[in-house]
Amino acid sequence: MKFGPLVFLAAFLALSASWCGFVLTPQVQLGRLTQETNSVVKAELYPAGRPGLARQGLEVYRANGCAYCHSQQVEQKGTLVDVMLTDAGKTSVQVAKVLNDAQLGSFSGPSVGAGLPKAVLKGADIDSATILAAALKKAGAGTELRLVSTGPDIQRGWGMRRTVAEDFIYDATVMPGSMRVGPDLANVGERRPDLNWQLVHLYNPAAVNDKSPMPSYRFLFERRKLGQAASPDALKPIGSFVPPEGYEILPKPEAKALAAYLSSLSSDTPLYEAPLTPPAATTNAPAK
Amino acid sequence: MNSPIKQPENSAPREDAGVKDPAVPIWLIVLCFVLLYMGAIYFDQHGGWFDAQVYSPYVSAAQVKGFQVGGGPNPFEEGRAIYGRTCTTCHGPAGIGQAGNFPSLAGSNWVNEEQPGRMIRLVLQGFSGPGLKVNGQAFNTASAMVPWNSLSDDDIAAVITFVRGNKEWNNHAAPVTAAQVQAIRAKVAKAHPLAFNPTELEAVSPAD
Repeated sequence: MKFGPLVFLAAFLALSASWCGFVLTPQVQLGRLTQETNSVVKAELYPAGRPGLARQGLEVYRANGCAYCHSQQVEQKGTLVDVMLTDAGKTSVQVAKVLNDAQLGSFSGPSVGAGLPKAVLKGADIDSATILAAALKKAGAGTELRLVSTGPDIQRGWGMRRTVAEDFIYDATVMPGSMRVGPDLANVGERRPDLNWQLVHLYNPAAVNDKSPMPSYRFLFERRKLGQAASPDALKPIGSFVPPEGYEILPKPEAKALAAYLSSLSSDTPLYEAPLTPPAATTNAPAK
Repeated sequence: MNSPIKQPENSAPREDAGVKDPAVPIWLIVLCFVLLYMGAIYFDQHGGWFDAQVYSPYVSAAQVKGFQVGGGPNPFEEGRAIYGRTCTTCHGPAGIGQAGNFPSLAGSNWVNEEQPGRMIRLVLQGFSGPGLKVNGQAFNTASAMVPWNSLSDDDIAAVITFVRGNKEWNNHAAPVTAAQVQAIRAKVAKAHPLAFNPTELEAVSPAD
């Protein structure tokens, strides 16, 4: 071979360049990620790690090829900021003036304080939101900025923020998926907290969702003659699912693990790299 | 391998010898540089410089930092997280404790005192010995409460704020600041380094 060393060199360069791009760079970039804190509630750590049964469920998820039809990555197109007025303060005339000057409607002194907290500016970018908030604060008002994620996935209710690498750090095999024959599962544990729903849906998807094209995973369940009393693990009727007369349907350990994994899927925690204002309904903090 | 087609080195001049050598046109080179330049500009503005904390739709570390508007610290929610890590083992996730062993925090007179001094002491130094009266009922338990002085002032203030202000548990007492915890920590470190027992705790003035 006349150009042996040259061919070798070219192949070596091509392979090492792609190794640097696909292996080394991500490793340098993300390889040292550790648990981080919730960006709003600083004492809360994220991710908490999956319970043991849910970890086994990840293997069942992988073995049954769930990732061929389900992704676990929420896309976010943008972040908009709402400026909330929480307190009109003592000088509501000045607050009204700030709002009128910014052409956000025509307010008079008393009408500013009606129906608080209310959004005075919706869907703004971070710069104009902070400028308005600073002006309102100077006029004596109480303000709060709320971040609202946007994008088709967010609209579908698949999550409140985009998926980031941090969401996967405790999973030995990550299952981000790329196909979306079925819905995204990054937050399915939040949307469907009912374990019985998950199990019945695996047993017969059409029972809880008529139009579901998902195949049935009956082999993860056992049909058993009803004894004297129903087993506590047996599937309970939900949707159009009713156990056959004289029988009960019991989940095998695989089905239990898979359901535990699905209910552990939740990535709505606000993080530094994916900031978010959690919905206010979850807190019972005393009003300020 | 000598094929008859192969031309000798000094053969007749090729037919296109008179045509100028077709070099790469200069405009193509310029175009390449322009595209490279535009690509670099785009990367600079949107790439986030490979920062692990910059994901789309954000374009730079400074922008991500600008979006940290999480409403400032929220001691109540911090307290909920600390309670979940520290206190649930004995007092339970709903704060109702365990009858006969661990007193309930929901509606407890010790929790709802106007001044938090005695509760801060309890959390800081721990507690042991039978006979503590909670809501008039004596707790004759052998279980002791371990001292939590390893927690920071902020953490203790947050967890006490959470317990005292938790309306779900029927508690309506005022929040606690880290300064209050700090003051009492300094006091008890000298005066009372060991766990409190019921008589000692009741001897402390509720207003202190």
